[in-house]
Amino acid sequence: MPQTLAIVGAGPAGGSAAAALRREGFEGRVILIGAEPHPPYERPPLSKEYLRGETSFEQALLQPSGFYRENGIEAWFGVRATRVDAARREVELENGERLAYDGLLIATGARNRRPAIPGLGLGGVHQLRTVADCDRIRQEIAPGRRAVVVGMGFIGSEVAASLRQSGVEVTVVDRNEVPLRRALGREVGRVIEELHRDHGAELILEDAVAAFEGRERVERVTTRGGRRIGCDFVVVGLGAEPVTDLLAETGAKIQNGIVVDEHCRTSVEGVYAAGDVANHYHPTFGRHIRTEHWQNALRQGSVAARSMLGKKSAPYEEIPWFWSDQYGHNLQYAGLHTEWDELVVRGSMRERDFLAFYRKDGRVLAAVAIGRGRELRRSIPLIKARERVEAAKLRDPDVDLRALAGAAGSRR
Amino acid sequence: MAEFVPVAGAEDVGEGEIRAFEVRKTKVAVAKVGGTFYAFNDACTHLQCSLAEGDLEEATVICPCHGSEFDVRSGEVLRGPAREPVETYETRLEGGGLEIKL
Repeated sequence: MPQTLAIVGAGPAGGSAAAALRREGFEGRVILIGAEPHPPYERPPLSKEYLRGETSFEQALLQPSGFYRENGIEAWFGVRATRVDAARREVELENGERLAYDGLLIATGARNRRPAIPGLGLGGVHQLRTVADCDRIRQEIAPGRRAVVVGMGFIGSEVAASLRQSGVEVTVVDRNEVPLRRALGREVGRVIEELHRDHGAELILEDAVAAFEGRERVERVTTRGGRRIGCDFVVVGLGAEPVTDLLAETGAKIQNGIVVDEHCRTSVEGVYAAGDVANHYHPTFGRHIRTEHWQNALRQGSVAARSMLGKKSAPYEEIPWFWSDQYGHNLQYAGLHTEWDELVVRGSMRERDFLAFYRKDGRVLAAVAIGRGRELRRSIPLIKARERVEAAKLRDPDVDLRALAGAAGSRR
Repeated sequence: MAEFVPVAGAEDVGEGEIRAFEVRKTKVAVAKVGGTFYAFNDACTHLQCSLAEGDLEEATVICPCHGSEFDVRSGEVLRGPAREPVETYETRLEGGGLEIKL
């Protein structure tokens, strides 16, 4: 039985793993190390309700603040780990101290991409990942102020919506022809585009930022297309990359994150990875995938904990799922698609009340819904079954998706 | 003072179903599980989505917006993101109608 289990990264994946270790009855030392000075918290509110000042930080905490002490989890918050010596089974900390471990979980998450745009370091040019980032943006928010949001992925889209809802004048710049183009495709992206326009955001699409300009603080954004946009502040959301530095010297396989199997085991004995940083083997899809979602972080954290204890458990094969709330509309996505040959729509895209299936060779790879969460959830078994489903049935609002999934399942 | 108030006819909610009713300005969800009616506040404690618009799986109601799960019998959170339980109300059948203590 291992004696010291260390977790580097005190976000949802690390926090969930720490809790799971105790829940599974582990009685040795559990050390949870996080660079931020806070206990684990959930990030979805940071671009939405917390950013708008509607909820408190306490409401975003993964566990009540007394949880770690009560469960004998050593909380090393505000402590940065710098490298892992896998041969000696030690983690080195920023202050030079070394911590010996019997088992180690890497849950360091992702960091925002910082493309080399001139003026990125000016005051008032923000990014969003931590609650500290969010608090800085909150201080900028006031009705009538002007913001530029760069990048219309999920973070950019949600921030743009929250700023509009807070009375900020918003201009967005995105290189694609519609928001969320890469994640959801042109047709669904068009719905999001219209949603933002209807709420008064100005969209500059198929263009990119050339520079942020100003003396000390940003005063304007210039684009490659020749636009000059006066502004009071900027939020940049141009994607994220996994934080794998810690394992650089260990020989662990790193490719689009830390490569792990379906039980969160890395290629190095005694080292595990979970959450945004983990590129995990997914049995349903038959390949490695890396997801940056709340649910994935939480559930994978628990799976990693069981593996660390040497307990046999089912492979991690949750279908990726997430939500995005914008202007009071609830969008949800489940599955995994990179390409598709048909988008089958149930409901009305124009009325922002639909469920759309990304279909390839007759199989449902993924589904996205606005305002139809119940049906979206019912399509998850269909996605998991990976069997052919008639488009007409997907489209027909009178066909219960649960029955379809049952039919697909029974043919196996 | 809490008292029993009529909500719906006993036939209005079928087995395995969940429906919302407005009772004295409170939106109340009623679920029927194993022949028993369970009533609780319809607003999810996370971000106030209507739980009656979610799925009912045995005694578990699933928020349609963010996937929080509650036990309809106790209001207890089974799965987040919600943290707080939903308020539940005592039910009784009175002359073919369903009443809840509000």
